[in-house]
Amino acid sequence: MSRNVLCVDRSERIGGVVDAVEAEDGLTAVRAPSVEAARERLESESIVCVVTAYDLPDGTGMDVVGAIRETASQTPCVLFTDVAPSDIDTASFEEVIVEYLNRDLPDAADRLGFVANDVIDHSAQVGFLAPDDEGERLEALAAYDVAELPIEESFDRLTDLIASHFDAGVAFIGLIERDEENVLSCHGAEMGSITREDTICTHSMLEEDVMVVENIHEDKRFSGNDLLVNLGIVSYAGANMTTDDGHVIGQVCLIDFEERRYSEAERHELQQFAETAMEILDLRQAVRAERPLEVAR
Amino acid sequence: MTLVSEDTFEAEGLSLGPIESGTSILLTGDDGDALASVFYRLVAPDADGDERAVVLATEESGRTVRRSLDRTKRGSGDRAAVLACTGTGDGGDVRVVDDLGDLTRLGMDLSSMVAEAQGQSARFRTGMLLCSSVCAAAADMRSVYRLLNSTFLPELRRGDGIGVCALDTSADVGTNARSVVAGMNTSFSAHVEVERTGRREATLTVSGLGDDRTTTVSL
Repeated sequence: MSRNVLCVDRSERIGGVVDAVEAEDGLTAVRAPSVEAARERLESESIVCVVTAYDLPDGTGMDVVGAIRETASQTPCVLFTDVAPSDIDTASFEEVIVEYLNRDLPDAADRLGFVANDVIDHSAQVGFLAPDDEGERLEALAAYDVAELPIEESFDRLTDLIASHFDAGVAFIGLIERDEENVLSCHGAEMGSITREDTICTHSMLEEDVMVVENIHEDKRFSGNDLLVNLGIVSYAGANMTTDDGHVIGQVCLIDFEERRYSEAERHELQQFAETAMEILDLRQAVRAERPLEVAR
Repeated sequence: MTLVSEDTFEAEGLSLGPIESGTSILLTGDDGDALASVFYRLVAPDADGDERAVVLATEESGRTVRRSLDRTKRGSGDRAAVLACTGTGDGGDVRVVDDLGDLTRLGMDLSSMVAEAQGQSARFRTGMLLCSSVCAAAADMRSVYRLLNSTFLPELRRGDGIGVCALDTSADVGTNARSVVAGMNTSFSAHVEVERTGRREATLTVSGLGDDRTTTVSL
């Protein structure tokens, strides 16, 4: 499947960028000769990576990067320029991270295609850390054919039970995919898919034990997260759903709208609920795997 | 004399054995001096191996960093490019960043310096001393993770090098430091925990570099 890379540069220079990108198998360049054109392409096309020059007729490459961070925060951006970092105005973009690639390097064109592929393959500018076993973890997750498993009712009953047990505002079960968390069941709120870097679960899954955030407003990892703040979330507790091979594929979580602590006993109970959710998933998967054999008999 | 392998890197005086190319090391501890001592031994480039180093120094000037590298391994200071948050630049391998909270500029400078180092030698070491200062200066931790993902970790999978990210666990980083370390620990390929045990002695708890072990080193 071809991957669209938005190439933004002045008309007289854009050809070289397009050629460098399209020299890589599987990459298709989408041209934009200005910031405005880039904004239009971002709305109309599915873009997996942005390569932009700094000097543009109607602004700078940082304006392009700022635009995509507003709409697709996890999309990687490469600033491909002969302007030195010290001459780039970052005053309005103090935490907008891009990959800087010096266009004056002798092998700049070769590097550009390689870097574009690399940042796409490795989700290289996401605002979260992935576990060291991310590749194997995603393979383990993909082995569960969740869309085809009749787990919804079981998980709905379970999240009802969890919320009641802890007297929590929200209880949910989510699977953590490459770029987002897929909430399978939620008691107390409407939740579907959430961009991964906006979730607390992507941090919680990296801890062996239950992770508790008593007040997200006092934790810099989450206090600037508008999604969480606008939902009114204050406290969080999450327990890992772990496969037999040790890969964390999801979380069972509690959310409350007030500051909250959890005792050791409560944390242990939440972990038990997470293990129960994992057992339900495993059992449903095992039953589904057996069905074709039964039909064959 | 250190025997240099093309696929591994050595850290003198730490008894860690050869460190494989591509290794990202999370270095943690609550004693700044002990942490720095171990950091420099991991990051000091080896002239015999034709290595270069790029160091982000949040608390020290470029000149101080180069002196510390020289004390660790003679001549290694001249083989290092430093992005410092204090002191003055020299227009060459020592550059200064005015605002540590400007992670956009910081990332660009680091990417640029690593690319230049790789232009001089294929083998490189990168280091961040201290990542906890970057965390403290950032308004949003997601930006720190984005910085690590876009400028620190990619070079290790793309090129022939190792990276060391030092985090002072006694620093106020605006979040639960233990939780941050636990998270980073699963993302980095190795973890070295430094605990000062005497005036000139520390214990290293090592994981992800061969067998997990505890070793005592002099500072």
